[in-house]
Amino acid sequence: MKKSNDIFLETVHNIQQTYGYIPEREINQLAEKFDQPRAKIYGAIKFYSMLYTEPTGKYIIRICDSLSCHLKDSHDLLLAVQDYLGLEDGETSSDQLFTLEIVECLGHCGEGPVMMVNDKMYTELTKGKALEILQDCK
Amino acid sequence: MKRLEIDNIEVEVEPGTTLLEAARKINVNIPTLCYEEELSIFGGCRLCVVEVNGGELLKPACATEADDGMIVKTHSPRVREVRQTLFELIIASHDISCELNCLTCTRQSSCELRVVAEDIGISRMRLNPIYRGLEKDFSSHSIVREPNKCITCDRCIRKCEEIQGIGIFANSARGPETEVTTFQDKGMGNVECTNCGQCIISCPTGALHEVYHSEGVWDALYDENKHVVVQTAPAVRVAIAEPFGAEPGTVATGQLVSALKRLGFDGVFDTNFTAYLTIMEEGTEVVKRVTENDNLPVLTSCSPGWIKFIEHFYPDYLKNLSTAKSPQQMFGALAKTYYAEQAGVDPEDIVVVSIMPCTAKKFESRRPEMNGDVDFVLTTREAGMMIKSAGINICDLPEENYDNLMGVSSGAGDIFAASGGVMEAALRSAYYLITGEELEDIDIKPVRGLTGLKKAEVPINEDLTLKVGVAHGLSNARKMMELIKEGEEFHFVEFMACPGGCIGGGGQPIRADMTSEEALQKRLEGVYSIDSSKKMRRSHENPMIQKLYDEFLGKPGSHKAHKLLHTEYTARGLN
Repeated sequence: MKKSNDIFLETVHNIQQTYGYIPEREINQLAEKFDQPRAKIYGAIKFYSMLYTEPTGKYIIRICDSLSCHLKDSHDLLLAVQDYLGLEDGETSSDQLFTLEIVECLGHCGEGPVMMVNDKMYTELTKGKALEILQDCK
Repeated sequence: MKRLEIDNIEVEVEPGTTLLEAARKINVNIPTLCYEEELSIFGGCRLCVVEVNGGELLKPACATEADDGMIVKTHSPRVREVRQTLFELIIASHDISCELNCLTCTRQSSCELRVVAEDIGISRMRLNPIYRGLEKDFSSHSIVREPNKCITCDRCIRKCEEIQGIGIFANSARGPETEVTTFQDKGMGNVECTNCGQCIISCPTGALHEVYHSEGVWDALYDENKHVVVQTAPAVRVAIAEPFGAEPGTVATGQLVSALKRLGFDGVFDTNFTAYLTIMEEGTEVVKRVTENDNLPVLTSCSPGWIKFIEHFYPDYLKNLSTAKSPQQMFGALAKTYYAEQAGVDPEDIVVVSIMPCTAKKFESRRPEMNGDVDFVLTTREAGMMIKSAGINICDLPEENYDNLMGVSSGAGDIFAASGGVMEAALRSAYYLITGEELEDIDIKPVRGLTGLKKAEVPINEDLTLKVGVAHGLSNARKMMELIKEGEEFHFVEFMACPGGCIGGGGQPIRADMTSEEALQKRLEGVYSIDSSKKMRRSHENPMIQKLYDEFLGKPGSHKAHKLLHTEYTARGLN
């Protein structure tokens, strides 16, 4: 069954919403649905940094380290968060609570440094504020 | 028609022609890396940029259509400046190090980057190469991937998807992080890769190459306790002289034998002999299954890339495959039984080496059901390298004959190298097996040539007309399987994984100086010139084959033949 490609992203988002990531068996099914090699589906998913092919933590913490945030000491913020979580870039905690990612611009360059927790954006952060936010994540 | 001016030369082209094609028409060479004639346009490397009508923005010639009145400059100072800078950027992403890794690279003598550097007239290299520290992929028995050498030109991805119809590669991530990878980063050995090696032929750098077996062969050759025998496939003889500067299609059978004897092999044999045996076994099976209407059509089984393809994509049809082993594996099985007996050597001490135009043969030799009968498989390229490094130029050698017993071949074996060859050889013998008479008009032309899908009807007797099909290149194999699925009737269908058959195999020499189409055509002419020059062109006429059956195997399809010369297949699906 061949489906039009324009609903591909929507389909993938739905799967991610259901499972928190795109499991291998779902990629196999997408390949059949869209009549494409499964490597190609995999590549399309990997193109987007906010789509995952492995399970992630309950909270995905994204810290911007692009130019504007960097000038506002995002690196310091990052070190503090890394220290608190005990995670390096891209890692997920063993209790599956947190995934940490250092990311490019999140679109709030005037309000740096910024951090995202799942879909919520926090701006003009200090180390203290960031740790408070993380402590509330349970 | 569109009229335009390229480098002050007027040119007229069909609408839809790209500037790159128009320039090539008047022998202006615009350098490219990501462009390949038979693949779709990618426009990624940007090396082919040209100036159009003096415009500010340079245009990629591969992706820009020629139009009336265009004034194109392909090598103006501005273009050359931009092109040099682009090339510097590409090279910085390619793993060139001060450890002189160019010298050990598989593409040492066929590097497209070097050719392009020369075409551009590169005079500076301002950027330090970026070493990405990516891991090599050693998961496959046939092919190694070195992603640090990859310049993400996309050619392997397009070759696999567009020409072979599979698509095991994909780009992952974006920008400078872009990486060519396989499904779930599983590695080529753990996905639906058929090991055909066409990606290696397309790669402009050394990012893809075969799993080397040459070290093992050197060790065996210098081990006095080992009796090392080698077989050479039909398609190797029309390509082995290429690394020594000869044109594709140059027939160097005798010189190859001579070179291998100098290397120190204890016996040099012709895979044609077992190609021949394959025909006897497969032909017998075809006749039996056609008469009994048993799982038709019979599908050929000699191309290991095709076998892996059907195991992954059409596992329901495995019962249609001929159970005959490929010539390579038949040779291995006989070398360690019949030959060991004849030569009075302990089979344990025999090392069997194959020289094949093929990377998938390496995987085939490692299949558990093949019992390790073939110890090492060298591609034509590896054999060329070994011969060179022994101080031998194959073109200077006198011709020698293959060793006996497995050495007498009929022309029917030589044409195995080309698409349609197995079919033609099998028909010559099947005709005899059914009618007891020789096929008079021996050239069966409709199954020859480079058309992707070929069909023919061969009248055998009043009651029976054999319907046969031939497909080469895996996209065509898929089309043929779909026809069969839809119910089109065939008795016997030949499949070859590589475009053109074995002459276009993934283990053949890589040409930086001509398109693969041109090389194929020349090798094809070489193959048929050998066939037509041979007196004995029917497999069943070979006296050695008769002797082998009389003394050892009994008759085609016998119990012993089944044990040694037939095999089984594995339904793999997509896991």
